[in-house]
Amino acid sequence: MSIEPFNKLVKLVGRAFYDDITKGDNQPKTGRSDNRGIAVVVLDALSRRQWVREEDLAKDLKLHSKQLRRTLRFFEEEKLVTRDHRRETAKGAKMHNAAVAATIDGLPAKEGEEKVKMHTHSYCCLDYAQISDVVRYRVQRMKKKLKDELEDKNTVQEYVCPNCGKRYNALDALQLVSMEDEYFHCESCNGELVAESDKLASQEVGDGDDNARRRRREKLKDLLQKMEAQLKPIYDQLNRVKDLPAPEFGGLQAWEARASAAKRAENGESNGMDPSKSSHGLGYGGTPMPFLGDTKVEVDFSGVEGKGKDIKSEADGAGLKVLPPWMIKQGMNLTKEQRGEVKQEAKMDGSGSLAAPEYSEDKKFNTENNDKNLQDEYLKAYYAALIKRQEEEEAKKALESSETRVSDGPSGMSPSRQVGMKSKRDEDEGDDNVDWEEAPITGNEENFKVNDLNVEADATAEAEAEDEDDIDWEEG
Amino acid sequence: MFFHIVLERNMQLHPRHFGRNLRENLVAKLMKDVEGTCSGQHGFVVAITGIENIGKGLIRDGTGFVTFPVKYQCVVFRPFKGEILEAVVTMVNKMGFFAEAGPVQIFVSNHLIPDDMEFQSGDMPNYTTSDGSVKIQKDSEVRLKIIGTRVDATEIFCIGTIKDDFLGVINDPATA
Repeated sequence: MSIEPFNKLVKLVGRAFYDDITKGDNQPKTGRSDNRGIAVVVLDALSRRQWVREEDLAKDLKLHSKQLRRTLRFFEEEKLVTRDHRRETAKGAKMHNAAVAATIDGLPAKEGEEKVKMHTHSYCCLDYAQISDVVRYRVQRMKKKLKDELEDKNTVQEYVCPNCGKRYNALDALQLVSMEDEYFHCESCNGELVAESDKLASQEVGDGDDNARRRRREKLKDLLQKMEAQLKPIYDQLNRVKDLPAPEFGGLQAWEARASAAKRAENGESNGMDPSKSSHGLGYGGTPMPFLGDTKVEVDFSGVEGKGKDIKSEADGAGLKVLPPWMIKQGMNLTKEQRGEVKQEAKMDGSGSLAAPEYSEDKKFNTENNDKNLQDEYLKAYYAALIKRQEEEEAKKALESSETRVSDGPSGMSPSRQVGMKSKRDEDEGDDNVDWEEAPITGNEENFKVNDLNVEADATAEAEAEDEDDIDWEEG
Repeated sequence: MFFHIVLERNMQLHPRHFGRNLRENLVAKLMKDVEGTCSGQHGFVVAITGIENIGKGLIRDGTGFVTFPVKYQCVVFRPFKGEILEAVVTMVNKMGFFAEAGPVQIFVSNHLIPDDMEFQSGDMPNYTTSDGSVKIQKDSEVRLKIIGTRVDATEIFCIGTIKDDFLGVINDPATA
C-alpha cells in the first residue's frame, strides 16, 4: 500500500484548488482570520500524518486551533478529510498519542495532561480513496461545464425579468411569447425578459450580438486550453493513482487499535503480551477500544493453538480455545482436558518428533498462566492414566468400529458409547456392568465424552470420570 | 417516437344512439373524443387503428347514459429528449423560433441556433447566414434535435437545437 502517489495528488490538489481559498469571506480579513495559503499547509501536514488530534496538529503548525478547525471543517465539506469527535479523558488522549508515536516517529508522544475531566477531542485524517474520487469528479465537472458552454450543448436558456426578478427557462417559452412584439414578457409584471447569462465567459455580453458571441467563444476556448494545460499534472497523477489501492486507515478507533498493536509487535512482545494487553485494555473500561484489542488477542491465541494442535478440529475444542486467558481460572479443567487430549494423541501417533513440540507449546501456555502449575501436575498424572485407558479403547475402536456399529445398532445406543461398552466388556465383563449400574445417567454421558476426546466435561463429569477412571486404573 | 399501443377508456353513450348502429356510434364518438388529445404518459394520440374489445355496458342511474369500457388500438406520438425531428417553423422572433412537428410545439432559442446565423427583423423576421444562402423563416422546414421536454398531464412542450451536425433547414419555401 504505497501512500506516496496519493500524497503527491493531495499536494497537487491543494495547490491547484485550495491555494487562494479564504474561508469566511464575509469576515473582514484581519491578521488572524486571513486563511489564504493555510489550506495548502494543512493538507501537506495531513499528508505526513495519519489520524491526528486537531490540537496537536494546531500546535505543530503553530496555528490557532480555531483557525485550523475552520480550515478542517471546510475540507470536511469538500470531502477531503474525515473527522471524528470523541469525548475522552486525558488517558484516552494519551493512548492516542501512543498510537501516533507508533506510526510517526517524528511525533513525540505527549504524556502531559493528567486531568480526569472528559474533553471532546477532534481527530482528523485524510480520506485518500474519497479524495481521488472527489478530485476526479471536480475536474470532470470543470471540463464538462466549459465544454458544454463552448458548444452550447444541452443548455436550457434561462430568462429573467429585470423588474420582478422572476425567472423562466426556455420550456416556458410558449407562455411567455407575446403578440405585440418579438420579445418574451413576464407573466406577472409584463416586463420584457432578458436572456439570463450567469455563464462564465458571457458576463459582458448584454445584448448577445454576434460579435460578442464570437468573442465569448474565443474566451471559452482559451479558458479550456489553459485549464487543460494547468491541470495536466493532476490528470497525470489521477491516472497514476487510479489503479492503486487507496491507503485505508479505517475509523479512528480501528486505526488506533491497529497502530498500537503494530507497535507492540515491533517491540517484540508477541503472545506473552496478550494477557497484559488485555488487562491493560480493561483498565480503560469506558472506551470501546480495549475490545478491539481483545479481539486481536483472541485471534492470535486461536492461531497459536491451531498451529500447535492442528489435529483437533472439533467444534467444542474450538469453543474452548477462544476462552480468553484470564478466564482460565474457573474453566481450568477444560483446558487441562484439552492438554490431555494432545498428549493422548501424541502418544497415539507414536511420533515423538511431532508430539514433543505440541506438548512443549502447551507447556509454554501453562507457564503463561503460571499459577496453575500445581493443579496441572496433578491433572497430568490423572490424565496419563486416563489416556492409557483411552488408548486401549481407541485401539479397540479402530479394530471393531464397523462391526460393532452394525451389530449394536438395534440396541438403540450411540455407537461411541457402545464402543466404550464393548471394549470394557472385552476387558472384563462384570466390572463393566457395575460401571453402568453405578452411574446410569452421568456415567453414560461421561463415557461418551471420553470417547469423544473430552469435549465438554464439566466439574461433575470430571469427578465422575475420576471415579470411573480409578476403577479402570486399578484394573489395569 | 411513435408507438402502437392498446388503451382503454370508459365511453358514456347517450340513449339516443342505442339501436342498430350502437357500435358505430360508439367508435365514432371514441375517435372524436380521443384523437388529438395528449396525455403526459403516452403522448399525443394520433389515430385509432382498431377496437380490441367493447365490454358490457352499464346503465347509469337517473340519466340513462350507458358506460362502455372500450379497449382500442392507437398510434401515439411521444417526443423524447435526444430525438431528431423534422418540424415546420411557425414563428420567428429575436429570442429564437417556434416550430411544430405534428401536434408538438418546439422552441429553439437563439443560442441554440448556429452562430453564423443572424436575426433579421422586418415583416418577415428570419435567421440568415452572412452569405444569405440559408434562411430560417416562417414555414421553413427544419430538422432539429430535442434537448428538453416539459411533460404535463395534458400537454408536452419541447425545446430543440439546430446547432449540431446535419441539423437545420431541410427545405426552404422561398427557393422551392
